[in-house]
Amino acid sequence: MSGEPKGVWVYLQRSRGDLTKDSLELLAAARGVASKLDQQVVGVIVGSGVEALAQKAIAYGADSVLAVDDPALEDYFNLAYADAIYSLVLERKPYILLFAANEIGKDIAARVAFRIPTGLATDNVQLAVEDYSNPVLGQFKDLLIQIRPDFGTRLARIYTPRHRPQMATVRPGSFSPLEPDPKRRGKVETVGFTWKEYPARVAEVTELPPPVPDLAGADVVISLGMGVLKDASGKARDPAEAYRYAEELKGVIERKYRLKVEIGATRSLVYAELKALEGLIGKANQVGQTGATVKPRVYVAAGISGALQHRVGMQNSAKIVAINTDPEAPIFKIAHYPIVGDLYEELPKLISAIGVGAPA
Amino acid sequence: MLIIVLLKGVPARTTQAVQIGGVLNREAMDLVLNPHDAKAVEAADYLKRRAGGKVVALSMGPDAKLIPLMRPLYDAEVSGVDEVYILSDRKMAGSDTLATSYAVSLGVKKLVERHTAPIDELSAEIKRAGYSDTVKAKAAALYGANLLPNRVYSDLPSFRDSIVHRFVEGRLTTEAALAELAAEKGKASEFVVLSGVKTTDGETGSVGPQVAEGTSELLGRVVPHATYVDDFEFDPQTGTISSERRIGYLSQKLEMKLPALLTVSAEYRPREAPASRLLEVRGSNYRGKVLQATKWTADDLGADPKRLGLAGSPTIVGAGVDVGKPPVQKRVGETLVFLAAAPQFEVGSKKYGPFSRGDLASGLPEDALAKLKGEGAVGTFTVEMMAGELFG
Repeated sequence: MSGEPKGVWVYLQRSRGDLTKDSLELLAAARGVASKLDQQVVGVIVGSGVEALAQKAIAYGADSVLAVDDPALEDYFNLAYADAIYSLVLERKPYILLFAANEIGKDIAARVAFRIPTGLATDNVQLAVEDYSNPVLGQFKDLLIQIRPDFGTRLARIYTPRHRPQMATVRPGSFSPLEPDPKRRGKVETVGFTWKEYPARVAEVTELPPPVPDLAGADVVISLGMGVLKDASGKARDPAEAYRYAEELKGVIERKYRLKVEIGATRSLVYAELKALEGLIGKANQVGQTGATVKPRVYVAAGISGALQHRVGMQNSAKIVAINTDPEAPIFKIAHYPIVGDLYEELPKLISAIGVGAPA
Repeated sequence: MLIIVLLKGVPARTTQAVQIGGVLNREAMDLVLNPHDAKAVEAADYLKRRAGGKVVALSMGPDAKLIPLMRPLYDAEVSGVDEVYILSDRKMAGSDTLATSYAVSLGVKKLVERHTAPIDELSAEIKRAGYSDTVKAKAAALYGANLLPNRVYSDLPSFRDSIVHRFVEGRLTTEAALAELAAEKGKASEFVVLSGVKTTDGETGSVGPQVAEGTSELLGRVVPHATYVDDFEFDPQTGTISSERRIGYLSQKLEMKLPALLTVSAEYRPREAPASRLLEVRGSNYRGKVLQATKWTADDLGADPKRLGLAGSPTIVGAGVDVGKPPVQKRVGETLVFLAAAPQFEVGSKKYGPFSRGDLASGLPEDALAKLKGEGAVGTFTVEMMAGELFG
């Protein structure tokens, strides 16, 4: 390989014999970046017998695929997978290397970045390509702009001007997979792997059932925040009542429109561990920077003020309905349907309005 | 066993974070211990009860700010940390995860050396002085400095059979004593690094795996790691850590030889340590706690200045991103919208439309609005209309 680092590489994860949704989203993210750079999207798959997955990656936006294919790589093992990816990077010098910002992506990306060495911008919610200049470091053309929540207060641009590849992890749910095009053709190159003696081994792997609730896969997410604690008059209310309203709303939407609805919550509400919500709201419901990132057709934020940590997890929703007693709440800046009011009054109104004509 | 806990001081309130060019200025704000790190301290306590040894806290940042945070950990509800080491140097300011991991990895390496060097010193003294009181004096001094485990030397009555006791009393040959010390040196270099899964300020979760990679580089051996560990067990017989973690749709059991690094999840609950090995565990323990924190600078670590601070940080934090224009908003009971599609029309020689049902009418001039209202073409946005737009 010669010359400048080239190519937008994407590490593609597998699960249950298929590419994960996070991986398809990454391909879409990479496609956007690569077209601005006029470079190729290269999917990197590590595993055993992954030819069919390589074709799928091409249908979803990869120009070519590098498959590290070896029976010993069947199960995910961080040390071996990091070695496999590092060797390819060292040999072929990509311009950009992307991973999904989930447990597995972060597990490998961090080690690979240190070994190269290069920077690693984690949990990006947007990516862009821009020129960058810095009085000390000079001018840089066509850098990857990595956009991530920064110290919980804003979205910051992160640059990796001097090192290649520019490495980033992308928050699941931040991009939508492209429509697959089965007619797309691309080269699939299979690469061997030399297993080393590792001071660690995978003793057991169990596939877990899909998450409950499946926030990322929902058409509609109804989320509750600390507004459940009291109503507009300041009177303390029973949060279980707010939860029942959310459940009722979920029920009428499901029955009338046949959409998949899930109930979410803010970090504050999850961590408050309210007795009244025990067994109803838990970590699995959390939407936001430390929970799930969602992009449903409709997001209903009830009693949520909209701290940045929450907004980064839901701001890409197609339509946002926000109910809050405080007209200055930041959630209203991004809401399509702002409702200044008390969720204990507004949710029932919504339920009866939607409930008209809904099957029982 | 050397049990190293990585601890970080994070801003007490994120809104109060003081930044200079996107880099946190930790000297100018209130710091608290990263809440995720509490689980690492619990895990360290389990390991010490299971295998014995010493729990060492390792942190990086302004020492004047960090020392007060460490104090409660000495007498935490659990048995807590035995010693505190702080990497503090202006040259480390502005480090991103790569530069931080490099410095912390150097700290881990230096901690290992700090606990293997005394055994070398003692071996050298045995070779030099033979069955002499100076061997015992040397051992007593090192033990007093909390640098030798009870099994090597101890002033506790229950450890009258330490290596040094047996040697000076003529119960061990020189060769046998040196062989036992060599084995002890091996044990002293078998460390475990524990950290929280991430910090509440950076939220990257990268430093754990990168310290595993950094210590691999600096020690010339592969240090494996497991992130998001919900549960683990240490088997002293095989020196293996068996960890369980949930990664995506997988639950994975990862077995690791020491040295190894674990990031400990919020789900972690320490196991009971069996009481049967109590004497062995105490043999691996050290004298006690050192209440004075030790500060190490970049020079103490022998750091390459090009790999520290801003110079050693590939990433640069730039300007914030505009959140963008607020979306077109419709307010139930307030916003005027078209109740049905309306063809193009003219009022006062100005053309309007065509409009679709649901389009905003609120922005139109008074005369146009008056006409539309008269025709009943516009009305106030209702809950029912909203439901239709959302789901219809």
